[in-house]
Amino acid sequence: MDLVRDMLDKEVMDRHGREMGRADSVVLEIRQGAPPRVVAIDVGPSVLLARVAMFLGRWVTGLEHALGIAEGRPVRIPFEEILDQELEQEDHIKVDLAAGETAAAALESRARTWFSGIPGGS
Amino acid sequence: MSAIVDLILGVVTSIGGFVEVGSISTSAQAGSEFGFELLWAVAAAGIMLAMLVEMGGRLAAVSKRSLAAAVRERFGIDFQIVPLSAEFIVDVLLLAAEVGGAAIAVKLLTGIGFQWWILPIGVLAWLVLWTCGFAVIEYGIGILGLVTLCFVVSAWKLGPDVADLGKSFVPTLSTHHHLRYAFLAVSIVGATVSPYLLNFYSSGTIEEKLKVEDLWVNTTTAYVGTMFGTVVSMGVLVSSAMVLGPRQIQVDSYEQAALMLVPAFGRWAIGLFAVSLGIGCFGAAVEIALNAGYVFAQVLGAPWGANKPRLSASRFTAAFTFVLLLSLAIALIGFDPLRVTMICVALTVVVMPAMVLPFLVLMNDDKYLRDHKNGPFRNGFLAVLTILGALLALVVIPLEIFGG
Repeated sequence: MDLVRDMLDKEVMDRHGREMGRADSVVLEIRQGAPPRVVAIDVGPSVLLARVAMFLGRWVTGLEHALGIAEGRPVRIPFEEILDQELEQEDHIKVDLAAGETAAAALESRARTWFSGIPGGS
Repeated sequence: MSAIVDLILGVVTSIGGFVEVGSISTSAQAGSEFGFELLWAVAAAGIMLAMLVEMGGRLAAVSKRSLAAAVRERFGIDFQIVPLSAEFIVDVLLLAAEVGGAAIAVKLLTGIGFQWWILPIGVLAWLVLWTCGFAVIEYGIGILGLVTLCFVVSAWKLGPDVADLGKSFVPTLSTHHHLRYAFLAVSIVGATVSPYLLNFYSSGTIEEKLKVEDLWVNTTTAYVGTMFGTVVSMGVLVSSAMVLGPRQIQVDSYEQAALMLVPAFGRWAIGLFAVSLGIGCFGAAVEIALNAGYVFAQVLGAPWGANKPRLSASRFTAAFTFVLLLSLAIALIGFDPLRVTMICVALTVVVMPAMVLPFLVLMNDDKYLRDHKNGPFRNGFLAVLTILGALLALVVIPLEIFGG
């Protein structure tokens, strides 16, 4: 598997087929005398923008703190939670988690509160 | 049957939604200052747009990914941040210009200063985005936009010399004001090939669930719709050339541009121009804001879609709300909407290579296009457009300074 082509930036779906985000970063374990091993993917705009420039990642983290949604973000998804690991064949990464039970949905939930009082949104 | 209905609606929408603040201002200026001479630029820009839009639709129909999503996956954020940031700046400014254009249209109808209408128009745009599904937004505004055909009727009634029109489709150098001529030619391209249109069209293809076997609908809509839409832009240019040019009226405000319809429509002219400008700009404003929501959600992998309840795609909703608010703030500062428009079209040309280059790779990628990849002709077009875009990007700012 080509990590950049088949894993990084791919859409992540939860077990119910709901969007959780994208694989914004891939976490590797460096092992003595053995090839590196993928241990997890990170999902969250702070790690995404940190790939462009570290200060942008820190800025997003600060914004998440200000919005009160920083806890548990970015979301680290262990490789074992990936349901179909033949990612070359898949359009997205399906994981054995529910988006609502992780901090991946925190911004979505917070944004929902901003609009929830307006009629016609649901 | 459904494909035929989609096709008809798509073409009608392309005609009604083609003319907006950029195309009206650049075509009106080109006509008043250079007669029919720049018709070739309108035609060339229309061909470029049709080909890019067709590719965006094909990419979406086959890969089930919008342009923004495909660029994120294929190139990563390190590359995408460049076109994304550029498109964000252009879109926010263009949205401010569209809202300003719609406000000027209401001013023409009511006589009350345009600044007073910016906020109500912004609120109305948001309400449309909050309450309407994709079909209502796209087809509703497109059908209302058919009023812009008044420019074609005007050009027809003015009776231009067919031989003169025919000659104007061959690119030539102007006999006077070379820099201004070059600037307007480049601006017409910038006004027509707006970056937001490409992702908006590919997202719309997904919203409408276009199937691979119905790709011919996408191709026909892109080419026929854009061709007829281009005819509306040409109607603006020809009317301006035949009415404003001989009277030495240079278009430095929309109020002056409105005069081009007077010989054809008499006392209805200003009202017709105002309604055309208003609907064109309002429709474009709604589409630009909606596309901002699309891009933000697609890049982050969040739920999106104008057919989803807004609270179940709340980041998408927050993104279009934020961009609309930002643009309203800029529009309220009181910049002349026509000036903002001309800056936008120049900036569009600057970012064009970064917008077109990904197409060249994506449209030849088996993973995304399977059996529907580009052939040599379309690849050649993209290569020429990328090189031409890079050259135009280099010259457009000097042209804006010296010829704008």
